[in-house]
Amino acid sequence: MGRWAGWVRWGALGAAVVVLVVFLVAQRQSIDVSYGQSPSSSGPVQEGSAGELSDATVPSVDEMTAMVAADPVVRLPGSIAHWDEDLVRKAIGDAGIRILVAPPGLDKDERGRVRDVDNAQLRVIGTEVTGSAYQASADDLPSWRAQFATGDVTSLLLTLVASVRKQDPPGDVDLFRWRPPTEAEVTAVAADLRAGGVHIADGATLTDIPKSAGPAFPDGALYAAFPQQTFGEPVPEYGPALAALFPGRAVVVVYGSWIEYHGPDAADFADVVAASFYGQAADRISTYAYPQGNVLHAYLNRVTDVRYAGLFDRPLPYLPLDPLRVALPALPWLFAGCVVVFLALSTRSLLGPRRGPRSAGVPARLAGLTALAIEMSGLTDEKSDPALTRGITKLRAAGDALAENLPDGHVRTLLDNAEAELDDTAWTLGRNDYRPYNYLRGRLA
Amino acid sequence: MVLVWVVGVVVLVAAGFGAVVLPWWRAREVERRTAWSAARAAIESAGVSRDASMSRVDEAERLLAKAEAIAADRGGTAAARTASECASRADRLWREAVDG
Repeated sequence: MGRWAGWVRWGALGAAVVVLVVFLVAQRQSIDVSYGQSPSSSGPVQEGSAGELSDATVPSVDEMTAMVAADPVVRLPGSIAHWDEDLVRKAIGDAGIRILVAPPGLDKDERGRVRDVDNAQLRVIGTEVTGSAYQASADDLPSWRAQFATGDVTSLLLTLVASVRKQDPPGDVDLFRWRPPTEAEVTAVAADLRAGGVHIADGATLTDIPKSAGPAFPDGALYAAFPQQTFGEPVPEYGPALAALFPGRAVVVVYGSWIEYHGPDAADFADVVAASFYGQAADRISTYAYPQGNVLHAYLNRVTDVRYAGLFDRPLPYLPLDPLRVALPALPWLFAGCVVVFLALSTRSLLGPRRGPRSAGVPARLAGLTALAIEMSGLTDEKSDPALTRGITKLRAAGDALAENLPDGHVRTLLDNAEAELDDTAWTLGRNDYRPYNYLRGRLA
Repeated sequence: MVLVWVVGVVVLVAAGFGAVVLPWWRAREVERRTAWSAARAAIESAGVSRDASMSRVDEAERLLAKAEAIAADRGGTAAARTASECASRADRLWREAVDG
């Protein structure tokens, strides 16, 4: 017991308070890592807020109707869609199907005007192809690649032509061709990537890397952006070449609105992300004229989502080791332990003997004075009786106080009083040897 | 789990309260008993002095009666101190009467 237990007791109290405060403070910090809440940014989209509207505009409905009447295929300025004209002409045959091609990025009003041109059975806005009642959409990666990398809408037109002519839909025609890039092309791109991690070719609308790149590729990635490729020409396939040049690095290659991933885990990863991204966004991308930066931003958000979805048995990159979170479950028991220790030690100190050891001199003095009083009692006379009686009274009170465990100081005061009375008695008797001071010294000697 | 915190806090507060109040209450009790012990001693002493006194001292009689009345009612430390005071004064008055 004693000092050591005191330290432990108040230490336990302090620890309990600290633990309680830590626990309460930790309540503010809500840690939720959920597969449903990856930090990719998303929000309601307003038309035009992502720069998807272009400066292109269309003539009035009457003018366009006249143009379509004059020419079976009308390409308005700014149009980006291309197709294999021989194939489409052959499919149309003598059906007299007219096609109106409008630029991407029209606003709602302008799109409405294009739809109001009644003599055009097929309308292409950007690379979105609609018929009188139908819309054709690409639905696999090669189709999306052709549509967004080169503006190829051949398959879509053929599908709708067949639908207008009430024929069975033909199979997709894939006119997209890769070619290996030349040494010089790769060297130029690689130099830019080495210098800044980004290559932006002439004509590409990418300006800088979107901020969603951080969570998507925590270890960083290389970006190469090219404008929409010329329809009908083989496209230089930079992805594998760059991935070979930068082994272990993530490489993102952008052609027009078509984004490819190359690098580590590409086999597991690239198709999942591309299919999920273009499956959802193809409609908007085909109609509007998004800058490449915005398409890339959305794509990288999807990469983050896929990463967070835990589809792959790889260690997730977003779980920081938080010592507080590890310790939190133990805090209540730590707290309870401290409380128990404090309670036990407090109880012990309260129930245990409060009084320190009584000084041995007090009972001895009481005994000595009592003996003196008894000795003197046979000698007293009328004059000295009251003092002796008072002395005995005080001695009895002192004895009671001692028995009741009252403080030493009080007992000593009573003994002092008794001693004064006895001294008075001895003085009255004229017996110097009975004065308490002398008597007690004689007894003790 | 919340229960651990709630019960723990309640126990802590109770233990802290007990740790402060119990010793204080004990000290008060000891003080009271000490004061009464002193008061009883003083009253008895005064009684002896009165018996030894030849003459009658009204003032002392009154004081001792008052002290005994207070003692009969029991009471707290303050009452004991008052009784003690009265008895001592009565004792002194009787002794002066004897000596004088």
